[in-house]
Amino acid sequence: MLLDLTYDVGNIWLDSLLGILAVVALMTVSALMLIWLERKISARIQMRLGPMRVGPYGLLQTVADAVKLIGKEDLRPNTADRWVFELAPFAVFVPTFLGFIAIPFTRDWAIAFLDLGVFYVVAVTGLSFVGFLMAGWASDNKYALLGGIRAAAQLISYEVPMVLALVAVSMVAGSLNLTEIVIFQGHIPLFVWQPLAFFIFIVAALAELERQPFDIPTAESEVVGGPFIEYSGIRWSMFFLASYTGLLIYSLLGAIVFLGGWGWPLGEEAGLWLQILLTFAKTSLLVVFFMWVRFTFVRLRIDQLMSYCWKVLIPLAFLQIFLNGLVLVYGWPDGILLLTSGAGLALAMYIIYRAVDTTPREVRMVPARGGGASSVPVSVDATGAE
Amino acid sequence: MIGIFRSMYITFATMLRKPVTIQYPNVHRDVPHRDRAFPILLWDENVVEPFCTGCHACERACPVECMTVTMKDNPLHAEGKSERRKIVDEFWIDYGRCMRCNICVEVCNFEAIAMNNTWAGHELSKFDRNDLVLDLDQLLAQHKQGKINEWVAD
Amino acid sequence: MVQEQELESVDINVNMGPQHPSTHGVFRMVLTIDGERVMDVEPHIGYMHRGGEKLSENMDYRGGIGYQDRTDYLAQFMNEQAYCMAVERLLEIEVPERAEYIRVILCELNRVTSHFMFLGAFGIDLGYFGTSFTYGFREREFIQDVFEEVTGERLMYGYFRPGGVVWDVPENFVQRVREVLPGAKRGLDDLDMLMTRNEIVAARTKGIGAMSLEDSINWGLSGPMLRAAGSDWDLRKDKPYSIYDRFDFDIPVGSYGDVYDRYLVRLEEARQSIRIVEQAIDQLPDGPIMPEKMPRRLRGPEAEVYAAVEGARGEYGIYLVSKGGDKPYRLKIRSPSFCNLSALRAMTIGNYVADAVAILGSIDIVLCDVDR
Repeated sequence: MLLDLTYDVGNIWLDSLLGILAVVALMTVSALMLIWLERKISARIQMRLGPMRVGPYGLLQTVADAVKLIGKEDLRPNTADRWVFELAPFAVFVPTFLGFIAIPFTRDWAIAFLDLGVFYVVAVTGLSFVGFLMAGWASDNKYALLGGIRAAAQLISYEVPMVLALVAVSMVAGSLNLTEIVIFQGHIPLFVWQPLAFFIFIVAALAELERQPFDIPTAESEVVGGPFIEYSGIRWSMFFLASYTGLLIYSLLGAIVFLGGWGWPLGEEAGLWLQILLTFAKTSLLVVFFMWVRFTFVRLRIDQLMSYCWKVLIPLAFLQIFLNGLVLVYGWPDGILLLTSGAGLALAMYIIYRAVDTTPREVRMVPARGGGASSVPVSVDATGAE
Repeated sequence: MIGIFRSMYITFATMLRKPVTIQYPNVHRDVPHRDRAFPILLWDENVVEPFCTGCHACERACPVECMTVTMKDNPLHAEGKSERRKIVDEFWIDYGRCMRCNICVEVCNFEAIAMNNTWAGHELSKFDRNDLVLDLDQLLAQHKQGKINEWVAD
Repeated sequence: MVQEQELESVDINVNMGPQHPSTHGVFRMVLTIDGERVMDVEPHIGYMHRGGEKLSENMDYRGGIGYQDRTDYLAQFMNEQAYCMAVERLLEIEVPERAEYIRVILCELNRVTSHFMFLGAFGIDLGYFGTSFTYGFREREFIQDVFEEVTGERLMYGYFRPGGVVWDVPENFVQRVREVLPGAKRGLDDLDMLMTRNEIVAARTKGIGAMSLEDSINWGLSGPMLRAAGSDWDLRKDKPYSIYDRFDFDIPVGSYGDVYDRYLVRLEEARQSIRIVEQAIDQLPDGPIMPEKMPRRLRGPEAEVYAAVEGARGEYGIYLVSKGGDKPYRLKIRSPSFCNLSALRAMTIGNYVADAVAILGSIDIVLCDVDR
């Protein structure tokens, strides 16, 4: 790996170590900033101010929270399964960090340029559901168990549409290597050719991150915290950080695969700082979109969530792959891709429209004066006689 | 899909609205004229004594029985400086029991008790619950310092 | 021969305990669930019981107002109205016109604030992370500012007295009320646009917890829950009290009796309350606010009296038994939340756990009203 700004150390182990440390440091700081951003965006949507006191405009609020969490007592229920309980936060946190190894931030910056980039990222980030199951089971708490089982079901189910959407895109781009996908998008990003796959990717990413409308495992108002209910202090903050790191990684993946990554619109030869800026801007767009969606929707019930995945998203993803296959085999021009995928997206919207009966229900208005007798069948007069 | 777009539109529109939040410890909102915090006693400056004569009217009318009053003969009356024959000796109000219903103000014949309508009536936190029982000097303190707004209700 | 052996499974008890973010107060529900379906619900109430009816026997007719604020603490003016009506019926006191108008204006504005609170908390139960709550509370705060300028308190008003109101409204009252009404309409429109046609809200609430009209009457429901089931029974229309028969307003009636209908009924009711306030504020007359010949101590004859108002949650009634003297012998409060809550088990069995929370939210209980 060559860093333009630093020197080549020569030893490949040290190279990788430096890269990994740089990415880890960068991602930790980004997670802190993302938490601040989420609180500010949620506050603005809810017409209030958000953190304002710690640091200018509350920028140091996350640091204060981190210090507080480190100082908390490390509780563990007596009847909890000790090793499973203590290892669960790491089982959630580590896979998400491993996903960063294959992500190309610019043309020359990545820890490893893997030929199986997409495959690697999806496979590794999908391992985190084990941590939820471990936390749910080991906490010896019914709420935690409910939340853990719901989380496992949801995360496993929504892996499938995400993988299928990314496979569909890789078919069009011709490779699983993330850098080649970016180069393929030279002038037109892939969300133009594959809007249906983009839609499925967004929905599946929301479900993988357990954000509204798919946050039933950690539903704040029912199973307060779900599998994390018995954790406190730094262990709980690992779950929290894992959630925001996951947000970052899915936004990066979406920006690279669908929005053109560091390449579009300036092409391959743009300077290093422009590439960083492009990646940053596109990732921020997706991050802000995810946060906007989080505070706009209520949560789906677990059976609705599962039926949506298996009955709607997976057939649509297969449809997308099939249509892509048709276009690629017969060598039709690229415009057909847009037509077919756009039609698929319209079909998806139509299914959502028809799945729920949203005809606005009217209530009947009865005028209070001169409205006639009331419709309570038993008539009781003033003295109580019937 | 329409409903989803409507919801997203309204959350976007509210992002652009100005919040009405006031950051409290730095900025205090103006309390309205009739604000009704806890009761305080009033001090007559012309004759240097409280208005209260200790007649027990408010103590009897209080629904939660949060006051204790005793009266004594007024030494200033014996000297001819005041028209009040009796004056309050000791007066305790338990702010922890008071429910701020304003009945003590309504029944007082001498307009000696009033509801505090300044911020000091709201910022009364104490560390010990027994400190919430205020005696005569503490109740008179605020009016003696002149820090009360005009209270218009009768 | 292969014998089929069923997998043995045990229903687990989940305790949605007294401290829980979504039970609207200290309320305990013990759910027996099988997987995700609720098999049985056992509500435990009484955590907020303060012996209010007994305490009221020690307070005279003027002091008893203070307790009425603290039962249904979101619709306080209606509670005070019921109490004052009961005492006025007992002592045969006539309330002057201006006091009646002021009472109606404040009661209907209070209904609007109560429904704002419901709409906010309902969104929280369904899954918002706070969005609907602040939308509702922003406009509610402006209305509460008007209440603070009139009475002096933000929540426990204590403003009505038997015979009228305790002091007159400030000079800028009409102008202030007219200032907050457009804001209230806009707040209701915001909540409407956020929740009413949202597909996910519809999927979560349509068909859940439905009560037929006959079941609703058998369980003794009242208020928006009964109107959502299909009946247009409203005490303001069917047994008019105070001066409600002078105003034009509509009563929203649902048809399915499920959670979505209750939400729609309350949203429309708030709009109709704004309509009543607009008419009343135009007609506000001048005059005294207490009758001239008001006795200093209110002593009652030996009689029993019942007075009910249409509160924000249903029929709030005061049953007063007096045996002479200036304190009641027995004061019984017919609280709407208690009677509405009794139907919780019938509505929840067979639904999912997430629906149990939505149904509880749609009953719109206030725990101090359930437990008095």
